[in-house]
Amino acid sequence: MSFLYPLGLLGLIGVPILIFIYIIKSKYTEQTVSSTYLWTLSEKFLKRKNPLSRLTGIISLILQILSVILISLAIAHPIIAIPNAANEYCFILDASGSMNMISDEKTRFENGKDEIKDIINGASEGSTFSLVYVGDDTGVVYERTDDKEQAIALLDELKVAYNTADLKEALGIAQGYFNENPSTLVYLVSDKAYGEHKNVNVIDLSRGEENYAVSDVVYTNKDGILEVSGSVVSYKSDASITVGLYIDGADDPAAIETISVNKGEKTPFTFTASSDRFSSFSVKVLQSDALALDNEYIVYDLESESSYDTLIVSERPYLIKAMLGQLLHAKIDVIKPSEYSSQSGYGLYIFDSVAPDLIKELPQDGTVWLMNLGGSVNGSGFSVQGEVTFDGSDVITLTDSSSSTAQALIKDLRGEGIHLTKYVKCGFYRNFTTVFSYKGNPIVFAGTTTNGSREVVFAFDIHDSNLPLLSDYGVLMRNIVNYSFPDMVEKTSYESSQEAQINVIANCESIRVESPLGNVTYLDTSSAIASLPLNEAGVYNITMTVAGSAREFSIYSSFAESERDPAQSEESIALQGEKSSDGFDGKYDPLTVIFIILAFIFLADWMVYCYDKYQLR
Amino acid sequence: MSRFVINEEFLQQIETLQMLLKNNVAGMFGGNRKSRSYGSSCEFTDYRDYTGGDDTTKIDWNAYARFDKLYTKLYLDERQMHTKIYIDASRSMEYGDAKKAEQALKIASLIAYLSVCEMDKVSIFVIKNNELHEIIRGMVGKEAYLTSISKLEDIVFDGDSYISDAILPTNVGYGDGLSVLISDFLTDNDYEAAIDLFCDKKRDLLCMQVLSKEELNPLVRGKVHFFDSENVSRTYKKNIDRDIAKAYKSALEYVTNKVKNYALARGASYMLTSAEASLGEIFFEKLVNTEVVK
Repeated sequence: MSFLYPLGLLGLIGVPILIFIYIIKSKYTEQTVSSTYLWTLSEKFLKRKNPLSRLTGIISLILQILSVILISLAIAHPIIAIPNAANEYCFILDASGSMNMISDEKTRFENGKDEIKDIINGASEGSTFSLVYVGDDTGVVYERTDDKEQAIALLDELKVAYNTADLKEALGIAQGYFNENPSTLVYLVSDKAYGEHKNVNVIDLSRGEENYAVSDVVYTNKDGILEVSGSVVSYKSDASITVGLYIDGADDPAAIETISVNKGEKTPFTFTASSDRFSSFSVKVLQSDALALDNEYIVYDLESESSYDTLIVSERPYLIKAMLGQLLHAKIDVIKPSEYSSQSGYGLYIFDSVAPDLIKELPQDGTVWLMNLGGSVNGSGFSVQGEVTFDGSDVITLTDSSSSTAQALIKDLRGEGIHLTKYVKCGFYRNFTTVFSYKGNPIVFAGTTTNGSREVVFAFDIHDSNLPLLSDYGVLMRNIVNYSFPDMVEKTSYESSQEAQINVIANCESIRVESPLGNVTYLDTSSAIASLPLNEAGVYNITMTVAGSAREFSIYSSFAESERDPAQSEESIALQGEKSSDGFDGKYDPLTVIFIILAFIFLADWMVYCYDKYQLR
Repeated sequence: MSRFVINEEFLQQIETLQMLLKNNVAGMFGGNRKSRSYGSSCEFTDYRDYTGGDDTTKIDWNAYARFDKLYTKLYLDERQMHTKIYIDASRSMEYGDAKKAEQALKIASLIAYLSVCEMDKVSIFVIKNNELHEIIRGMVGKEAYLTSISKLEDIVFDGDSYISDAILPTNVGYGDGLSVLISDFLTDNDYEAAIDLFCDKKRDLLCMQVLSKEELNPLVRGKVHFFDSENVSRTYKKNIDRDIAKAYKSALEYVTNKVKNYALARGASYMLTSAEASLGEIFFEKLVNTEVVK
């Protein structure tokens, strides 16, 4: 037996002190009574005393001495060694995506944790526990701790991941423990089937639950017809699976179909629905099964997500608004130049024939189009040198630049037969990409403002040209819109464990990401592209704040396909070496017993006191 | 300050009670007690043949007309009894909170009142050491009661008490009423001879044992050294535990039974009362149950 706090034994000094107090206190109390006759007479009626009853006078003392001894022991906290009673345990807990499956109203992961808790609680005191977590990362949660409560508390904090877990590294860690102590009991808590296992106890959590999944969803949207195709699969048995298409979060499906599926075979489906525009759609399996995470596939429309609200400041906005209305899925507000007072919150600002002194300062939270400026504007990066009027009209020339920006801006343009009657002559302070020019003078050009926002300049009034009558007008506007609204993400559908790349827009202040489980993180905005690791399955809601204005979009992370049917794994697992059955000394902590005995002693002492004081006899 | 105060309302209540006597009444004439001998009261009881010299006014002429023979009507005689109350005035009766002495004085005064209400004569004595002191002699009538009863206040409870030694030399009377002996009887001194004397003299006797709450149910525990209030040389030094407390109860039972059995065996009455008991309980329950009053 050893003591955690041997100084607590100093409390035993209380024993002789207690006895001393008893000796001092045990004087006779003198008292005068009316008559001693009855007391003297009582001697004749005093029966022969039970020898044990002689102890009754000192029972209280004995109980109090025992109390002092036990309190001292409790403070010293004795630990009793029990030979060969303890073991070393090493748990490998599979936290891969498949452990999200529901078994007996709990996830497999929770069931696995319960199994480990049972083993920990049943282990002899003094046993040590190590836990290797195999989830997004593989790591040791705790190592050879003998604190059961702490081991269980840390176990409770663990959460299941959504990705495929690599058990090899975990087995390597367990091999290390096994090499150091061949009697280590290694438990692999997983839902995957293994062919053979040596020196590893496998706790199989798979119960053969039904699981259906939707995958490979793609779509086309032409002429107002949305065509969605994909495949469904049933992993455990042949089944008739009902699949529905839901557009823009509608409660009622736009299309629904029941598909007969053979076990393990991907069965294709195709939905057709009329939809000019949509923000998102989802394909859902309508039957419930053990794993809900793979029953839905959500697709967000990239074009819709990349459209921003637009403000047109113009006296004659009709030609611009009509074209943008065709190209954008976003709100378009129109005000007159006299109403402009540095409004914000838009992704695109169009200033058409607005006096420079009304603009004052270029907006920072969106792309700026400057059309037919009457003078220079601070921060625009160019100067206005005056208006040039033709005698009649003249043709402007399409650029032949091979730069990527220029190519994107002139994509599909014919560039022929565009006549102007007048234009504004401009001079650059910074680099701009010219799209159209007239004898070396830039007519349509693009670049960035001083504060980094994208900028497109039309150095003429489109009402003074034949451009709106030409097919190039729509093409040019589309190219400029695409330039003005850079995609924040390249695509909106990913698979869990992949990494999404998010384009950081100029003047971006923050990128807030809310994961499917509600975890909020902020991405680094210092570089042009921010990386977002998708560790969870479901919808990630992203809010990008640009110069105080928030732009929201979503991406979908589908459940990893490899985790939908984990039981197919037939790997062999083994720890090298010969297992030993030698345990090591266990520990028994008698503190609880001491406190229980102490409680009984206090109770007994109290009863003795009441017995004497109140004649409870 | 008065050691006992008798509530006037209670006195009125107690007037409804009547003393019961077991023995022949041989007291003085003019009382309120029905004697077993014939006398001159208004209560008719029997006939006897007329003999010469009988009071001719007592002849029943109706009987003469019917039987042609003279019969004299007999009437019960009424006698005045002499109630004698003996109070143990030893120190043990007053020690502590003096409840025993107070209770003894209250009981004595109320029995005296009960007696004077019945036109009886009342004398009150105190027993101190081996002497008997007369506090009130031959008190008759309520007026005398009211003027004399305050003498009980002057009784000093002190010393020891030898009941028999004090009573035996005195004239206790013969068949002329009730004797009341009020004591705690916590003594190994002789009191049996006194009881015998009262019984020999055909006097009704009520032995009233008054004990305090502490004596009836002592709560003291642990190591104690008791000193007797009457005689400090009498001590008791023990560690009072459960067994001794039990033995005390047995001793108490023995003492009370001893007095009770001795009294009852000789036709006397016995009553045990707590010093804390109410007078209503004593007079309307206990004394009624012991058939001393009705």
